[in-house]
Amino acid sequence: MLTFDQYLTPATLAQAFDALEGLPGARIVAGATDLLPWARDGRAGDVHLSALVDVSKLPELQGVGLADVAPGRIRMGAATPIAAFQHHPLLQQQAPVLGRCAVWFADDQIREQATVGGNLVNASPAGDSQPALLAMNTHVTLARREKGRILERTLPLSEFIVGPGQTLRQPLEIMTRLELDALPGHGAAFEKVGHRRSLVISTVCLAALARLDPTRRRIEDVRIAIGAVGPVPERLDDVEDFLTGQAATGARLREAAELAVERVRSRSRQAYRREVLVNFIERALVAALAQAGLEIQRVPKESGHV
Amino acid sequence: MSEPVSGCQAPVDGRHPMTEISATVNGRKVTRSVPNHYRLIDFVREELKLTGNKEGCGAGECGTCSMFVDGKLVKSCLTPVQKIQGATVETVDDLDRDQGMTVLQRAFHKCGASQCGYCIPGMVMAATSTLRRNPAAGLDEIKEGLGGNICRCTGYQKILDAVQLARDVLNGSRPESALDEDAGTSFIGHSTRRLDAPGKVTGAIKYAADLWMANMLHLQVLRSPHPHARIVRIDASKARRLPGVECVLTCDDVPGVDNFGVFIEDQPIMARGVVRYVGEAVAAVAAETVDIARAAVKLIEIHYEVLPGLFDPEEAMRPGAVQLHAHAADNICKHTRIRKGDVDAALAAADLVVEETYRTAPIEHAYLEPEAGLAYVEADGCVAVHSPSQNITHHRHMLAKILGRPINKVRMIMSTVGGGFGGKEDMIYQGMLALAAIKTRRPVRYVFTREESFIASAKRHPFTIRYTMGLQRDGRITATRMVMVSDGGAYAMSTPGVMNKSAILGPGPYAVPNVWVDAIGVYTNNTPSGAMRAFGAFQSEFATEAHLDLCAQRLGMDPVALRMVNLMRDGATTHTRQQLDRVLAVDCLQAAVAAAGWDAGVPHRQGLGQAPRSDLGGTGTRAPCTLGARLAPMAAAEPAAATVPAK
Repeated sequence: MLTFDQYLTPATLAQAFDALEGLPGARIVAGATDLLPWARDGRAGDVHLSALVDVSKLPELQGVGLADVAPGRIRMGAATPIAAFQHHPLLQQQAPVLGRCAVWFADDQIREQATVGGNLVNASPAGDSQPALLAMNTHVTLARREKGRILERTLPLSEFIVGPGQTLRQPLEIMTRLELDALPGHGAAFEKVGHRRSLVISTVCLAALARLDPTRRRIEDVRIAIGAVGPVPERLDDVEDFLTGQAATGARLREAAELAVERVRSRSRQAYRREVLVNFIERALVAALAQAGLEIQRVPKESGHV
Repeated sequence: MSEPVSGCQAPVDGRHPMTEISATVNGRKVTRSVPNHYRLIDFVREELKLTGNKEGCGAGECGTCSMFVDGKLVKSCLTPVQKIQGATVETVDDLDRDQGMTVLQRAFHKCGASQCGYCIPGMVMAATSTLRRNPAAGLDEIKEGLGGNICRCTGYQKILDAVQLARDVLNGSRPESALDEDAGTSFIGHSTRRLDAPGKVTGAIKYAADLWMANMLHLQVLRSPHPHARIVRIDASKARRLPGVECVLTCDDVPGVDNFGVFIEDQPIMARGVVRYVGEAVAAVAAETVDIARAAVKLIEIHYEVLPGLFDPEEAMRPGAVQLHAHAADNICKHTRIRKGDVDAALAAADLVVEETYRTAPIEHAYLEPEAGLAYVEADGCVAVHSPSQNITHHRHMLAKILGRPINKVRMIMSTVGGGFGGKEDMIYQGMLALAAIKTRRPVRYVFTREESFIASAKRHPFTIRYTMGLQRDGRITATRMVMVSDGGAYAMSTPGVMNKSAILGPGPYAVPNVWVDAIGVYTNNTPSGAMRAFGAFQSEFATEAHLDLCAQRLGMDPVALRMVNLMRDGATTHTRQQLDRVLAVDCLQAAVAAAGWDAGVPHRQGLGQAPRSDLGGTGTRAPCTLGARLAPMAAAEPAAATVPAK
């Protein structure tokens, strides 16, 4: 059971820092959907904290819109619920991979509570939003207070998560927002497998984005990011390089997918994950390219990695 | 997640800081002061006594606690109560706004979409949310909307039927009369509504955890962390001194003959001198609040002398193994034997002998309602226990002996059972409850957490089955030998009955002249095994049917043809020499084969390079649920007509 001396709901970022600085051991909470199940028998057991500091209502952590200073970028408050991935009109139009990710993320109800910032800060190796956001070249902004002034730093998501449950966030830093590419012209796909459809920890998950050049035969831009098959989510740079500028054919997609087979570094079910991963890459690319306007037939295959 | 900072400690007296919460719940403004660690589910159930929504898992997995907060459906077990400050909450209790039942609830009633009913409040809420969002939701969207809700009695089809019926009635495409009970002169062949369904679809029916009495105490249990240990000393003095603690119970408080069990009464209500599995009850506390009871449990000091444990039934039977119970030589709890004909001779004469070993796993019932009970002493001195017991009469007899009182001073009341599947046949907590009520003269309630239910309750018996079968070339089985060893765990529970049934039904509905079955249930220091759906027959029949497929492959036969040759027919004699009059096994298999569109042939035809089966994935095969029914169409992609086929 999770218990605490105080539960604070600060109205401003300054009040949130007051709480964090004044109460050593205080913990930031947003949606609480990971925190409460964690403090139960079989996981952390009974946990007592000095305070929970609920940042989900802070104005600085709200809102989704086009970034005013960076053209072609979307700005999203860290307390944005995952449900917005699916329902926010701007994201539906400019970041469709997020909606495709969201339908696989926990369930309808948890998506109303769970926040994008929480999913990144918790840095579970199976955090489903991570591959989609990596593929969108997401940067995260962290706020801290020094000598009474609130300062920010911004870093790429690819550097932010450094291991299972480990990030570059310092204990007195609050993730305030994300910035990601607006990609209205890309086809998008998200793949996930677990023991069931809803409410399941990913065994393999993956996001793919693709855009065609004006001839509509060559791949102008492609982005693939994978999750749940290693300690941290990653972009498949080599696969992306292999495909960028190339004509998209079934054979080339097959060859590209096979490049990823050594990426599986999880502790269990490696053979299964290799098989699924390469198939997911191929299927996701086919789907993303179809949305971008190019239908490709997959080359038939037998199981290869089990 | 990071580790908590040390030096910060929960209140040792179990008295947590309070927080004042104001919200609008079911249209009524409420302001209440509650412990600050309460979640929304605690606020609604424990403080407001709105018990329609249940707690099934406490971890956001099951959805029976789903309720609306400011119009959005959330898991109330994942919602700190502070998040509803100033918000509007809707629970299932008043979903109908005092209008009887909503159309959805009436549709659930009509379609029989409630069995145990424990998941149904959440299902109704999730369905309500789905149809509020999109009154025209299709089946895939409904499935997605209900994706966060688990039913354990397997009623999904009826639930989906009900949501679609409600949708159609609400949008006028089906008349409201579609919600009425089907007219019919006979119950047979007609859909008949369940009598208890209205109470279940509205959340009005009370399960044990929903019961509340004035002056009620709360029980919590200290459980063994060791699989096998001697209890050297129990020091409960600190717990007894804690304000708010009304009693601390150990085996020393049991007045009568302290043993229970379905077949062999070998288990004390709390460990007596020795613990035999992780999770065994050792001591119990009844206190004014659950928090105080939990705090008191932590103050009980137990000194254990850890003993070597037995975790494998084969090892447990070996000479020299630690003996776990005085009455069970070689740790054998039950050995059931069937001997018919001369198996050795038949195997020697067989055209084909096939041997294989099969293993099944222990599994948890995971009924959606964790164990719970309420006990009190009535004015005439009779102790009453409400619990979702699957065996109240037997429990009553055992409890009378344990409490050392006449049977007319013990009353067992079966509360609505939120799923049992055999797992609630064992009286693993009612004894502690009754004793606490007698000691304190106050009502006492005990509600398991999901984790506690997993750790303390029986599992399905895991089996290792060594199978030898002799057959003629035409497929006729001439001999069956099954040697089955099963891990019964620390106490007998239903092991003797499970061994009997696994043996009697194991060789299957086949006419076999020579049969040898050993079913051996063994004591170990694992979680006890007990009754679970099919009571042992599943494990042994799984082996038999898997083995017949293997034999069909060896014989080059169609697996159905092999079974047709061997199925019992009218006048057959069973393995235990019961004469059967009429046997419909052949008719049954024929009907199944016809319904499945069975493509006859050897089972391994693709491996032989032959054409693959034609009966897979055809009509009648349900398509997998693909998520994304509500995704907006791609905004930027060109219209489909403009796509260019690739070379």
